[in-house]
Amino acid sequence: MSDLEIWAVVGALCVATAAARSSLWLVGHRISIPKRVQEMLRFAPACALAAIIAPDMLMDGTGHLQTSLANPRLLAGIAAVVFYLLRKNMLQTIVFGMLVFTGLRLALGG
Amino acid sequence: MSAQPAPLKSAPAAEVDMDAHDPAAWKEGFAAGAPTLFGIGAWGLVVGIAMVKAGLTVPQCLGMTLLVFAGSAQLASLPLIVANAPVWVVFATALVVNLRFVIFSALLAPHFAHLPWKKRFGLGYISGDMTVALFLQRYPSTEAVAGKLSYLKALMYPNWAAWQVGSIAGILLGAAVPPQWGLGFAGTLAIICITVPLVANPAVLAGVIVASGVAVAAFGLPYKLGLLAAVLAGMVTAMVVEETMEKLTSKAAP
Repeated sequence: MSDLEIWAVVGALCVATAAARSSLWLVGHRISIPKRVQEMLRFAPACALAAIIAPDMLMDGTGHLQTSLANPRLLAGIAAVVFYLLRKNMLQTIVFGMLVFTGLRLALGG
Repeated sequence: MSAQPAPLKSAPAAEVDMDAHDPAAWKEGFAAGAPTLFGIGAWGLVVGIAMVKAGLTVPQCLGMTLLVFAGSAQLASLPLIVANAPVWVVFATALVVNLRFVIFSALLAPHFAHLPWKKRFGLGYISGDMTVALFLQRYPSTEAVAGKLSYLKALMYPNWAAWQVGSIAGILLGAAVPPQWGLGFAGTLAIICITVPLVANPAVLAGVIVASGVAVAAFGLPYKLGLLAAVLAGMVTAMVVEETMEKLTSKAAP
């Protein structure tokens, strides 16, 4: 992306953040959210975040599926999920995941 | 959303200013938020490193962190920037990732509906996951109480500062670390840590699995449209699973 495009992205992120965080502060006391819409709001972020990281963990740089044990990102990601479920600590999980990832990467010669 | 703030005109004439600075509430709020600041700073550090590793220049990174202040949306935008996705796809993705804040602001905004709109806009813009949770633990009901605003600010301002310090450190550090260390992967790990607690029931789990599958299967689509297709498929799956489960439980219970 060009420099101008990056700043356009920054602007777009600002608008997206303001729309999500501030709009109900401005008009929220005058409207009520229907149940169906609330459900969608609840489900959407988890689905979006999963959709962002799934290709990063399951595919290589050329867009091919990599589900073998020789894929350090997939293994480190699974290890991090298990670790987070046990400890519920973000910082520890990131450090642990990076250690697993780095160990596997060096062991596999990547 | 059902809780309405008391109209101001019904307040007694001699009422004290509920929004005046309240040192005791400020101290209490700061003490409540302090234990989370280290984690917030570390999370900022990871996002800072990930931005540099995605190829952004230092001024671009600083601009993004200071202006946007939304870690998960920033992280989500990075693979799209690398893939040269159109700006509107980045916008749509960031909007979807940020949707959880709509729920948070629906809970928080009624407490401060009496403030001028510029103040409400600003407070909404810097409210993070942690500040909302801590504030609602301390003030579960929306009635006007002196010190509320001070308590909220004492949660928000240090949270903002810790994030920015961590983020700027990450930007400077990230530029100094060789790319083969793969530090950008810390961003993926951070997203895992936000996603796992969101998977609170089988419906969300089903949605997440479908979204992941569609994202991989449709990875080759132009303009990163596979991502939006994945979100849509995941959302519909989650809603269908939830409604099916509700029907089953309502049948089981007389």
